[in-house]
Amino acid sequence: MERSKYPLYFSFPAVIVFLLFFITPTIIGIYYSFTDWNINADAIKFIGLENYKELFNEPRLKQAFINTLIFAAAVTLLQNAVGLALALLLNEKLKLRNLLRMIFFMPYVIAPLVIGYIFRAIYHPEHGIVNQFFGMLGIDFMVQDWLNDPRFALFTVIMTDIWRVAGFSMVVYLAGLQFIPKDLTESASIDGANYWTRFKHVVFPLLAPAFTVNVLLAMIGSMKVFEIVMVLTEGGPGYTTEVFYTYIRNTFSSGEMGYATAINMLLFVLVTLVGIPVLLAMKKREVEM
Amino acid sequence: MRKMKAVHLTMALMLGAFSLTACGSNNGSSQGTNAPEGTAAAEASAKPSAKPVTLTFLIPNTEDVTPYNLIFKEFEAKTGNKVEVQALPGGDYDNMLKTRFSTGDFPDVFLMQPGTKQYVKLRADETLYEWSGEAGVWDNVIDTIVDFQKDAAGKAYGVPFGKTGMMGVFYNKDVFEKAGVAAPTNYANLIEIAKKLKGDGVTPFYEGVKDGWPTQVFYLTGWVSQVDQEIGDEGVQKLNVNQLKLSDIAALKDLFVKSKEIKDLGLFQKNTLSGTFDELQNELGEGKVAMAFMLDGILPQLEKKFGKDFVTNKIGFFPFPTATDTGTAMITPPNQLMVPSKAKNLDAAKELVKFMISKESVNTFYQSQPGIPVFKDATSELYPMQQTVKDYIDEGKSKVNVQNRLTASFLDLGKILQNFHITGDVDTAIKEMDANYVKDGNSKRLEGFE
Repeated sequence: MERSKYPLYFSFPAVIVFLLFFITPTIIGIYYSFTDWNINADAIKFIGLENYKELFNEPRLKQAFINTLIFAAAVTLLQNAVGLALALLLNEKLKLRNLLRMIFFMPYVIAPLVIGYIFRAIYHPEHGIVNQFFGMLGIDFMVQDWLNDPRFALFTVIMTDIWRVAGFSMVVYLAGLQFIPKDLTESASIDGANYWTRFKHVVFPLLAPAFTVNVLLAMIGSMKVFEIVMVLTEGGPGYTTEVFYTYIRNTFSSGEMGYATAINMLLFVLVTLVGIPVLLAMKKREVEM
Repeated sequence: MRKMKAVHLTMALMLGAFSLTACGSNNGSSQGTNAPEGTAAAEASAKPSAKPVTLTFLIPNTEDVTPYNLIFKEFEAKTGNKVEVQALPGGDYDNMLKTRFSTGDFPDVFLMQPGTKQYVKLRADETLYEWSGEAGVWDNVIDTIVDFQKDAAGKAYGVPFGKTGMMGVFYNKDVFEKAGVAAPTNYANLIEIAKKLKGDGVTPFYEGVKDGWPTQVFYLTGWVSQVDQEIGDEGVQKLNVNQLKLSDIAALKDLFVKSKEIKDLGLFQKNTLSGTFDELQNELGEGKVAMAFMLDGILPQLEKKFGKDFVTNKIGFFPFPTATDTGTAMITPPNQLMVPSKAKNLDAAKELVKFMISKESVNTFYQSQPGIPVFKDATSELYPMQQTVKDYIDEGKSKVNVQNRLTASFLDLGKILQNFHITGDVDTAIKEMDANYVKDGNSKRLEGFE
């Protein structure tokens, strides 16, 4: 089939908007990361790699780096696992299927800040329903100070975020499942394949494009996590839930704009370094239908 | 086809990541807002308006707005101008204010913490109205407070308003009485008292580690009783120009050791890491907790919850004791009123400030918030614990909070102390405090720090 061709200038408005609002600020940002831009200084000086040297000697950033990676890995993995499980379940002919799909997707459309405030109440050490539930069951060892105990704080934030975003993955996987021709799974059934075998050899390979999208979006989104951490713990107690963006906020607040932009650039490099190999690896296993 | 899809996905990934950097570039320099006084814009806004205007007044929500509303009601009746009070979150007040300055969204008048360090923070010479030559502003202000308001060049960008504040140990008198103990005579005695209270089933001290800022009070109030004795005013001046390291001050290290000792002895409440200012008030008021290292901002809060009689009769105060005596009372100068030089209604804003510091308004304020006055002809009924501090001041045993004497700040101290409560590592905490102090001085481009 011959493709219809459109004049090149049709793309100009989009290209101009893209250049103006994405590429230009990015280039300006890169430049500022090499300056001593500071709200207390009269002039902005080019200082080369000084900001980068400084940030590599910052122990708090190291902690934020580790926490961000733990958060991103856990959320990416669990968000997809839970999202896929929900999608498989809600792809079956259930009575309340549409209602359940809506219920599981709903947290994703609520602002993270609102979710944070709600969960702060839920996790309250004395009055929160989590501890009250465990207390009611008589399993007192499970009654913990979920947000303020350094042993549990990061875990609690991760679990809250998974609750928030799993519905989004579910929707993407559901869309992927809708595109799998039924005759493939049906013929596998006739051949005697059980549910697990059908899933492993038919459904899973054909869901690869949905995996690619879900994993990449989950990974980028979780590396940029901010609101949910800010509202639940403000990066605390101490630095136990500090992530890149809470640290960047801190440096911006103290007026160190150039330094904060350098951290932003570091995060950009990190996302790219992690994202591209993941993308390439996942693209390899995609199957063309 | 697959290659193209891969290219498109790669581009989408890079775009997602690239867009992060936009956050760092679109904030705009604060310089854009720094039009000097006397510019056409400033002059235009300085012209008196015939029509009544609505002024915006910013205040942190940690302050009780009741007296301000009473004063503004009088102002409205007298001038026809309205005042809209905007109470911003106390923890983010400075940042929100700086953001509004950066975007040119100036309030007409705002309340600011005391100290000339705020002048550096707000780039006062470019952004704020200068008051030192203004008639009808300084006559009634106590001389020491006037001096405190001026920078090295003798300029004042803020007008003092409020009362002399204090930090120290607030205690529940009933709990002390029941345990048969009195205000301590020295630090060792304080620990003995705390042990006795613990033995009686009362939590001796409450620490609001979750909120961060309450934990700082122990160190700031301990500073005047302990660190000032070691380094003197010369030492503070050396700190101001980065010729003395915080990590070289033995008395400061001892404060961290003391805090750790209190924790190790189990003299704080059980869950310090989830401790909040709100719970602190409740526990102290209900007598479940005996003492708290705190600032006088707790008084209006306690009054709201437990009534004026309770605050008057049941709450006592003593300074951070030293090894040999009852210590030095830590005081804070009053807040200051500031007016941006590019305020939308500059003349009306100046009029409001002058109205607020008139004798009538000041007395309205003190009626609602009793405290040690900073105006010569003001009258204020003091709470007994404020009288205690006034006695210390009269005896010459008081000192201004070190944070108000330094231009650089103990950056992120609340966070450092949170971490210290988890790790208990004294050396790391001091090292971090020292590094952050130098970093802040450097960031503010202060002499000796660059």
